[in-house]
Amino acid sequence: MTDTTDSNSGKRERISVPEEIELPRLLDFYDLQTEDQTQIHEFYDNLQEGQLTTTQCCDCEEIHFPPRIVCPECTGDNLEYVELPHEGELFAFSEVRGGLPLGLSEHDVPYVVAAVDLGPIKLSARIDDASYGDLEIGDPVELKIVEIDGPADHKRFFYRFVPQR
Amino acid sequence: MTRNVAIVGGGQTNWGDRKATWKDLAQEGGKATFDAIPDVGPEDIEGLFVGAVQPERFANQTHVAPMVAELLGIDVDEMIARTELACASGQAALRYAWLAIAAGQLDVALVLGVEKMNLGREHMPEVQSSMANVLDREFDGVNGLAAPPFFAWYAQRHMHEYGTTREQLSLVAAKNKTNASKTEFAQFQSEIDPDEITDSPEIAPPLHLYDCSGITDGAAGVILMSEEKAREVTDTAAWITGSGQSSMAGNSINNLPSFDGWPQARKASQSAYDQAGIDDPLAEIDVAEIHDCFSISEIIEYEELGFAEEGKGGQFIEDGRSYIDGDVAVNPRGGLLGCGHPLGATGVSQALEITQQFQGTVTDDRQVDNPTTGLLHNLSGSGSVHSVMVLDRNQR
Ligand SMILES: CC(C)(COP(=O)(O)OP(=O)(O)OC[C@H]1O[C@@H](n2cnc3c(N)ncnc32)[C@H](O)[C@@H]1OP(=O)(O)O)[C@@H](O)C(=O)NCCC(=O)NCCS
Ligand SMILES: [Zn+2]
Repeated sequence: MTDTTDSNSGKRERISVPEEIELPRLLDFYDLQTEDQTQIHEFYDNLQEGQLTTTQCCDCEEIHFPPRIVCPECTGDNLEYVELPHEGELFAFSEVRGGLPLGLSEHDVPYVVAAVDLGPIKLSARIDDASYGDLEIGDPVELKIVEIDGPADHKRFFYRFVPQR
Repeated sequence: MTRNVAIVGGGQTNWGDRKATWKDLAQEGGKATFDAIPDVGPEDIEGLFVGAVQPERFANQTHVAPMVAELLGIDVDEMIARTELACASGQAALRYAWLAIAAGQLDVALVLGVEKMNLGREHMPEVQSSMANVLDREFDGVNGLAAPPFFAWYAQRHMHEYGTTREQLSLVAAKNKTNASKTEFAQFQSEIDPDEITDSPEIAPPLHLYDCSGITDGAAGVILMSEEKAREVTDTAAWITGSGQSSMAGNSINNLPSFDGWPQARKASQSAYDQAGIDDPLAEIDVAEIHDCFSISEIIEYEELGFAEEGKGGQFIEDGRSYIDGDVAVNPRGGLLGCGHPLGATGVSQALEITQQFQGTVTDDRQVDNPTTGLLHNLSGSGSVHSVMVLDRNQR
C-alpha cells in the first residue's frame, strides 16, 4: 500500500480565484474606437462630432455599411467618408423581453431593436423612448448619439434612434 | 463525385439542461454512436469531424476535435478538424466527411456534434450575449440583436408582405413540439396545442417562448462510410446523393435582403436537387429535417426549399401538408423547436433521424410511411448561408 495522506497532513492550503470580475473587455460589445485600435476610427470620430457617416468607394461609388477599409465591390481601398441621413423609417422591429444578453439585463429592459431604412443603407439600431405596441412599419425615426460608460480608457460613442415627433 | 458515400447509423445523448460538461457530452455521444453500430469501433475511424459552435465561450475549451479523439480513443490518420458555421456546424462537418470519402481520401469517418449551452440560470445573459455575435458584433450584436428579435423581424415582414398569420406560426410550433413528445432524447416532450403557443410569454413579439428553439446541451454522432465499407455493416443506409451550400456576400443587416425570404436556401437546395436528380421536391421528398430555429423559419423554408409557392408557406401548414402523414413529413423528430438546439449537434441529429427513418428504427408514432428520399437543411447566423443535403435509401 502507498501512503494515502497528502503532504498538508490534514490542513488544506487555500488558493483563490476572484468571485466577481468587471465586465471583461472581450465581452464588451462596443469596439475600441481610436486610431490606435481601428482603421475605421473616422466613423467614430465623426459620430463624436454629431455626424453619422460611412465609407463610399471613390472608384466604383459603392456605399458600404458597416464602414470598410477595402471595397467589397471592387477590392479598391480608395474610400472616403460620406454623411448618412439622420432620419429614416422603421423597416422591421421587435422588442426584447426575454433572453437578454449580458450587460443589458439590469437596465434598459425591455428594449426595441429595429432595422432602420436610411435610404442609401439599412442598419440595425436600438429605438429608444418607444415600446413595441406604439410602433408600426414605416414609422419615421431620427438619430440620437449616445456616449458609452464602460471598460475602456477612452470616450466611446454609438448611434441609436428615437421616434420622430 | 467519384465514390458513393453512406451514413450507416449513429447515436445521441439525451438533450436538455444536462448535468454534464462538454467532455461528458462528447463521451456519451461517441459511446452512443459506437454502441449503435457494433461493427465499427474507434480503431476503424480514419477521419474525425467535430461540429461545435462556441466551446470557447460555453466550455472555455478550444482545439476540441483532438479532445474528442482523446476521449474516444481514436488515432486519426487521415483528416481531423472541427467545423464552425454557427447553427450549420453539424452539417458542415457532414459535408467535409462526405467530400473526403467521395474523393477517396478515406473510407470511414465519425462526425460528432457537441454543444454545452446551459451554464446555470444566472449565467443565461452571458450565453445570450455569446450568441448575439453571429451577426456583425460591432454593428449588430452591439444593439442587443440576439436571435429571437432578429427572427421576429422575419415573422413581422412575412406577415406584412404575405399576410402570414399568427395562427399559422402557432401551427408550426405545435406540430413540432407535439412530434417531439414521441422522441426519446428531446428537450421538450409535451404535446402542445396551437392555443398554448400564444399563451406562453412573449420573448420578442410577435414571437412567444414556444416559437423558439431552446438553450440545449447535447451531442449526436453518425458514421459515414464508402460504399464498400458500408455494405459490410448494414443493408439499409442513407446515401448522400446531393449536397449544396450557398452564402451571400452579406452577414450584417445592411447586406441582407428583405427579411422575408432566404434566396440562399433556394440556391443551395436547387444545387442539391440537381445533383440528386430531383425535379419536384414536394412529390419526391418523403421526409425533411429542416431548420426551425423559430416557427417562422419553417414557414419561409417551405417556400425556399420548393414545397410551397412564394408567400404561401403559412397556407402550407394550414392545409396540413407538412405533418407526418402529409405530403412531406417535416421535422418528425420534433425539430429544433421540440428537440432543442445544441448548435453543433443539430445537423448531425437531423441526419441521424433521416437514416433511422429509412432503417425503420424510430418509434412507431413518428415513423414516416416507407420513406425513400430525405432532405436535410440548416441555416446559419443571419440566414446568409444555407446548407442542404439530399439523402436516399437507394444509392444513385
Ligand atoms: C426563448 C429563450 C430566450 C427562453 O429563455 P428564457 O427566457 O431564459 O427561458 P427559461 O429558461 O427561463 O425557461 C422558462 C420555462 O420555459 C421552458 N422553456 C424554455 N425554452 C423553451 C422553449 N424553447 N420551448 C419550450 N419551453 C421552453 C423552460 O423549460 C422553463 O420551464 P420551467 O419553468 O418549467 O422550468 C431561449 O430559449 C432562447 O434564446 N432560445 C433561442 C435559442 C437560439 O437563439 N438559438 C439559435 C437559433 S438561430
Ligand atoms: Zn469599389
